[in-house]
Amino acid sequence: MDASSFIGPFVPELLLLGAALLIFLLDVLGIRRNETLSTVAVAGTTLALLSVLGDLGFAPLSVFATLPANVIDAAPSTTGLYAFTSLGLIFQGIFLLSALLVSLASASRPSGEKGAPIFYGLLLLATVGMLLVAVATDLIFLLLAIEVTSIATYLLVAYHRREARSLEAAMKFFIIGALSTVLSFYGASLLFGAYGTTNLVAIGHATGAVGYPVLVLLGYGFLVAGLAFKVTLVPFHAWAVDVYDGAPSDVSAFLAGVTKKIGLFAYFLVFLGPVLYLRTVGGSSPFAGGPIDLGGTLTITLAVLAVVTMTVGNLLALLQKEMKRMLAYSSISQAGYMLIGVTIGTAPAITGATMQIFAHVLMKGGAFLVVAGVGALGVGPLIDDWKGLGTRRPLLGAAFALMLLSLAGVPLTVGFVSKFVLFSAAVQAQGYYIWLAVAGLLNSALSVFYYARVLKVMFFDTAPAPSTPPVTDALPAGGLGYGRAIAIGFIAVTIVAVGVYPQPILGAIQSAAQHFVVVGA
Amino acid sequence: MVLGLLIAVGEMLSPGTYVNSQFTWLHLAGSPGTFPNGVSLVVGTLVDPLSALLLLVVTVVGFLVMLYSIGYMHQDRGLPRYYAELSLFLAAMTGLVLSNNLLEFFLFWELVGVCSYFLIGFYYEKPSAASAAKEAFLVTRIGDVLFLLGIFIYFYHFSTVGPSGGWAANGFVFANGTAPYLPVVSGSGSTLLTVAGLMILGGAAGKSAQFPLHVWLPDAMEGPTTVSALIHAATMVAAGVYLLAITSVFIGFTSTDQLAIVAIGGFTAFFAATMAVVHPDIKRVIAYSTISQLGYMVLAVGAGFAMVGLYHLFTHAFFKALLFLAAGSVIHAIGTQDLFKMGGLRKSMRVTSAAFLIGGLALAGIPPFAGFWSKDDILGAVYSQLGSHPLYWPFFLLAFAAVFLTAYYIFRAWFLAFSGDHTRDPTLPHAHEGPWVMQVPLVILSAFAVVAGLFIFLPNFQALLLNGAGATGIPPVYGPTDLALSGISVGLGVAGIGLAYWLWGNGRVYALPEDSPLQSVRKVLLHRYYFKVAYDWVGLRLVYGISRGADFVDRYVIDGTVRGLERVFGSVSNGLRRAQTGAVSDYAGYVIAGLLGVFVLLLIVAPYLLSKMGGG
Repeated sequence: MDASSFIGPFVPELLLLGAALLIFLLDVLGIRRNETLSTVAVAGTTLALLSVLGDLGFAPLSVFATLPANVIDAAPSTTGLYAFTSLGLIFQGIFLLSALLVSLASASRPSGEKGAPIFYGLLLLATVGMLLVAVATDLIFLLLAIEVTSIATYLLVAYHRREARSLEAAMKFFIIGALSTVLSFYGASLLFGAYGTTNLVAIGHATGAVGYPVLVLLGYGFLVAGLAFKVTLVPFHAWAVDVYDGAPSDVSAFLAGVTKKIGLFAYFLVFLGPVLYLRTVGGSSPFAGGPIDLGGTLTITLAVLAVVTMTVGNLLALLQKEMKRMLAYSSISQAGYMLIGVTIGTAPAITGATMQIFAHVLMKGGAFLVVAGVGALGVGPLIDDWKGLGTRRPLLGAAFALMLLSLAGVPLTVGFVSKFVLFSAAVQAQGYYIWLAVAGLLNSALSVFYYARVLKVMFFDTAPAPSTPPVTDALPAGGLGYGRAIAIGFIAVTIVAVGVYPQPILGAIQSAAQHFVVVGA
Repeated sequence: MVLGLLIAVGEMLSPGTYVNSQFTWLHLAGSPGTFPNGVSLVVGTLVDPLSALLLLVVTVVGFLVMLYSIGYMHQDRGLPRYYAELSLFLAAMTGLVLSNNLLEFFLFWELVGVCSYFLIGFYYEKPSAASAAKEAFLVTRIGDVLFLLGIFIYFYHFSTVGPSGGWAANGFVFANGTAPYLPVVSGSGSTLLTVAGLMILGGAAGKSAQFPLHVWLPDAMEGPTTVSALIHAATMVAAGVYLLAITSVFIGFTSTDQLAIVAIGGFTAFFAATMAVVHPDIKRVIAYSTISQLGYMVLAVGAGFAMVGLYHLFTHAFFKALLFLAAGSVIHAIGTQDLFKMGGLRKSMRVTSAAFLIGGLALAGIPPFAGFWSKDDILGAVYSQLGSHPLYWPFFLLAFAAVFLTAYYIFRAWFLAFSGDHTRDPTLPHAHEGPWVMQVPLVILSAFAVVAGLFIFLPNFQALLLNGAGATGIPPVYGPTDLALSGISVGLGVAGIGLAYWLWGNGRVYALPEDSPLQSVRKVLLHRYYFKVAYDWVGLRLVYGISRGADFVDRYVIDGTVRGLERVFGSVSNGLRRAQTGAVSDYAGYVIAGLLGVFVLLLIVAPYLLSKMGGG
């Protein structure tokens, strides 16, 4: 194996690594201007994104392609550590897009912060870990990649070293994270004990061929629980709210927007990819055709988790008085929707889940960026503090309104398309799966309440004069900062653009999901 | 608009071409079992003989009405609103005509509906206008719901059992260049298709003001007369007929549907004409006439002659817009709509008088004016189908009788308004013609009202109709093929005019004797068969009763439940919230509990459920 064939597949990761190292070098050289660092991070992520898009075969970007075409969606080996699927590449694209937007928005952070280089460096390193998750086909490789991301994000949360809230959040994040890692590895060791391999494809084949003793069920159970930490499934979610709330809003945007998605992709890999083998063998359970079937038990477990997660997340979001906590709970309930896709496991369902993930990156990432911006404008953390903001900052208000409407699934936004695709996949799957669509729809209806409440506060309530100081008067005209404004504007436009004409992106995801299902078998 | 005209003209020059361009808005891949072909929601435009014909109407009449509005509306406040809404309407109408699938069609259909609502309520400070707008909106809404249900049924039917080739499952999308006609599916699913067809008929009846959803159109006359001319005579109300036409061409109706359509159309044609006979308001007379003429079109489509119906739609749009604009000119001049106050206007308003006369002749079906050709076509076409079902006969006769009534009521209006020496109400201001921007459209439309029917002798236009109708597989009847039939209908028309002259001509006012047995008939007609009263009564009683019951349920059942739920939810989410202690050891506890929960699910609950579900 010569060097180029080894480096070639990992160009995006190496680009990010290079950018991170450059940032640390600049730190040593004493160059700590926020804008400079942000530019480096943006440049690194942009190049990596172009490379991924080129690999995905977007014609105008094919010059950036770094992968040989025959590598993508090739038949998976039962020994390798990594493989390149087009679905994985799409996830890489989603991760990179999010990192790019957060880096861009961070250009508007107050200049001269001491830890700025560390912030960008860690952001890029966390992204490297995420990119690796997207290509893993080995359980240990996968868990280590998740760990790379986790460790970087623990530190990101604690980025405001002197703030007790941030530190406390980081501590919780770390302890629960460590616990979950232990569970995951224990599950992996059980599977290894049962089948003698850690390759996911091999495990999947073995599950089908050899059968699944209780040992295997326990192994999968541990993996469900361990990975559920990242996905923020109820009841593994409790850390998320405190952490999203305590972390700097930019970091929350990153955490809520993307890092939980690596957990979902890990679910795809562990419970779907290798396992579709079972489907071809054919099961006699009513859930034949579901994810790694284990006679249907796993499907039921995941379905219960999905419904519980979306319902509890929504109920708690209803009660919140603070904006960030409301968004955090809404994020948890969204994870429940995405899990529907894993539970059903057909190509349309994976398409729907991926679309939902893409939409959620935009909507929730964007919403947290707006919160960061509004926080920088000196507005308090309570939802009621946002009174009249929509009329005072009409553009910002409109962007935030778009994100909330999209979260609620209003037509002509990307959030509608993703939910539509996801729920119709559940209906198409027929049988008991239809109840998942019903649960999802009921929950969507429930969620409209708290999104609408924010809209009402923003646009129809006027701030009572004495309690809060007038917002605009105190604000400089460009208080939002260009980087943040561009990032938010881009997200808002994309939400509508994809909502109005989803077919290009949807089509790409559809064919990738189709490949993913076929490759797995 | 110019672009639309060009497309229409282009279609004229090369009749029978189909241009269908579309892009897929959203595609769901199919899976075995349900929707084997997948589901596509597409957005696209389709130019074919049917849409070209309507496009021509929309653009030409739209342009003339815009021109006329400059003079007619110049004193009104809210002109920006007026022109904005009118433009939005024209845009939506063009979109509707060019839609290539039913879902897109429905979106534009709603859009023209809402524009109509705005424009009827243009004088929103008048309570009657506001309530008329609401009425129009609500009544057409009944039809819209039916229409949407019809779309759902078609969607379901064609995406599960329909042919996979040209269909994209959701409307009249078809492969480029192939014959669009899909024969009626008989056998399996034909009951379902019949229901769907009836739903479509319901939608069309709402939009085209057919019995029993006709009540809104006369009240819609509260809007500016220009709006009445454009929306409530020439274009929007015709959308219902257009819907029936495209459905019959691209999807096909079952024979039961056809009978229902023929019945509704034939009955409405007669029924609306009777109400026009006695009404004193010039605009409402024309409105009833519109309903009646739309009935003819529906009749033709129901009998299987979509293109004949659209041909009448085409000629009718011109002469009915002409009548409305002429009436508007009168209203503009003397400020009243009451026929019995008018009189003698022929002398002071020569252009308007001539225009109304030409429109009236066209409407009455006197050759060689436009209405004669198309109305005669309809009667001939329906006559040729009488053998297909015995129940066609009564509706054919009703439609025939309506010819006489039509001629009578429109000439009653003309004689009342224009003949005689002087106005009957001396307080009215001295009449004068409007500015040239109002006269020019009258002249142009008059020209159309004379010659539009003769278009049929242009080979290209004829080919356009033939191509559109050829698709239905039934050759249309052109011109006076059945001379006797034409003779009778013209005779009836002339008789109607004669009766009108005898009763109302030269400033005469015919008063029905008080003791005449016809008084009671007149009263029923003036009250529009008590339809509105009945609707109000039913609406009031029913809604009131329901609301009473609902109030009770709301107070005791729902409120109680809500309060109970509130308590439950409150305590549940309080419990949940209390779980968010912030103590990390608790969180770790949840994780372990969750892990155990997963095990319980995996090892105990799931196997149990599976055994219950009968698999495993």
